[in-house]
Amino acid sequence: MSHIHIDIADLSFAYEKGSQILDQLTVSFHEHDAVGIIGANGAGKSTFLKLIVGLETAQAGSIRIEEIPVEKKTLPKIREKIGYVFQDSETQLFMTTVREDVAFAPRNYSLPEDEVARRVAHALDLVHITHLADKPVHKLSGGEKKLASIATILSMTPDILLMDEPSIALDPRNRKNLISILNEFDHLKLIASHDLDLIWDTCNRVILMDQGRIAADGLTEEILRNEALLTAHGLELPLSLTNRMVTVQGPADKPPAKSPHRAP
Amino acid sequence: MSRISNAANSMAKLDELARQDTWLNRIHPLAKLIVTLLYLVLAVSWKPRQLTGILGMALYPFLLFEIGGLSFKGALYRLRIVLPVVCLVGILNPFFDREPVLTVFGITLTGGVLTMLSLMVKGILTVLASYLLIASTPVESVCGALSMLHIPGILVTEFLLICRYVSVLLDEADRMTQAYALRAPGQKGIARIAWGSMIGQLLLRSMDRAGALYQSMCMRGFQGEKPLFHMKRFRSCDLLYLVIWSAVLILLRVFPVLELVGRLFV
Ligand SMILES: Nc1ncnc2c1ncn2[C@@H]1O[C@H](COP(=O)(O)OP(=O)(O)OP(=O)(O)O)[C@@H](O)[C@H]1O
Ligand SMILES: [Mg+2]
Repeated sequence: MSHIHIDIADLSFAYEKGSQILDQLTVSFHEHDAVGIIGANGAGKSTFLKLIVGLETAQAGSIRIEEIPVEKKTLPKIREKIGYVFQDSETQLFMTTVREDVAFAPRNYSLPEDEVARRVAHALDLVHITHLADKPVHKLSGGEKKLASIATILSMTPDILLMDEPSIALDPRNRKNLISILNEFDHLKLIASHDLDLIWDTCNRVILMDQGRIAADGLTEEILRNEALLTAHGLELPLSLTNRMVTVQGPADKPPAKSPHRAP
Repeated sequence: MSRISNAANSMAKLDELARQDTWLNRIHPLAKLIVTLLYLVLAVSWKPRQLTGILGMALYPFLLFEIGGLSFKGALYRLRIVLPVVCLVGILNPFFDREPVLTVFGITLTGGVLTMLSLMVKGILTVLASYLLIASTPVESVCGALSMLHIPGILVTEFLLICRYVSVLLDEADRMTQAYALRAPGQKGIARIAWGSMIGQLLLRSMDRAGALYQSMCMRGFQGEKPLFHMKRFRSCDLLYLVIWSAVLILLRVFPVLELVGRLFV
């Protein structure tokens, strides 16, 4: 497989003239990066992810995925590589049943029907919703919808994962399962979330966004432990860190990062 | 339960029916689709005054309700809003066409009454036939069958999204009215003054939703061509279903069956 990477240079974006949402972002992501994107409400996290998959178009700057520029005619090729979980799972699901929805992508990529069935079964099994396979989408609970939309992406077996608030609405057990799925996914992943504990458990690199700019980019341990930095940008220490600091009075254990990334 | 969530539930119930495992549900969607389309064309093709012929066409839906194990009462209940509307078509005819054409049991029927009745019956029968298809075939199978008939992909996608979308729209409307009711306790319905903004909001939200659903399709390999559906193999019993019903329908259309039966007794 070619070396997976995303290069972003001088990216600027505004939904409406005059109110800049992203302001000259320059950043690169590499094959085994697990990047947490954090920032207060409205910082531009979702917008950033949408730009990467070409759901919005930047006014200035460039995005390249494995050297392919993100533009209208390259979108089908790029989207084949990327699995994107929307922040609002209500809008991610469009078929009538969970099974049909999870089968949509593999079928669209013209896989043979037995392979489609295998992938669907595997994806449903990964997120523990095999029992919901034939349930109509509009009858799912909020968390079930989230799990189903994650399954629709897993069945694509993407090279790159982009997730916007994946743990929202999940109960502790399903959240834990999500963490292990994310940790098993060995390629590049970008996770935008307010769930800093999830980021702590799954990412080796964190980007802190504020008002459309990158306020900090570095190792998870460095950024998520930096209380002054976090509070300055409207965030707080991850809960598990504060708890452990109180009870153990020592640094929390960070699971070993798969491939530590240097801060630029 | 509000009227809106009631409607959403009706749709869900229909979908559930379509996913049951009965012999009628197992018949290939293409066979059912073709029979239904043929029925619609033949039923509509009767001239306005040929009431007995049209009545003969009722054999198909009633027989299928019976042997397909579908509840006729349930259908009437679910179609209780549509059927009266269908019956309104032609209600003015008796006022325009007053020429007497037929006397039954001493009652003289005018051409207007006759055309009104036949329009009503046509309307009811075509709605029932469509209901039979939808209640025995999941939406994506109907879409698959439409694709097999080489209906352009964009129309098939449209049909699929409308079906998915009606429930999204109903949900959205339900949520908005609930949110309203919770903040306006003791008030019946929605105040006239809030209607404008509610409808505007609903429209905006629905457009947003539709856009996002489309984006989600694009993110999963959809490029505006026809979406792919898994269709099972067309078996010989499907062919049998198609051939028998087509023959019956054509016979019903060619011979005024009711008249022939009536003559037996005269
Ligand atoms: N469709 C849109 N039209 C206009 N402005 C928008 C649109 N979508 C988002 N915005 C604005 O862009 C800014 C960034 O939004 P974005 O959704 O990227 O934030 P976010 O960091 O994901 O926030 P959250 O944590 O709340 O999800 C916000 O100020 C928002 O109001
Ligand atoms: Mg967001």
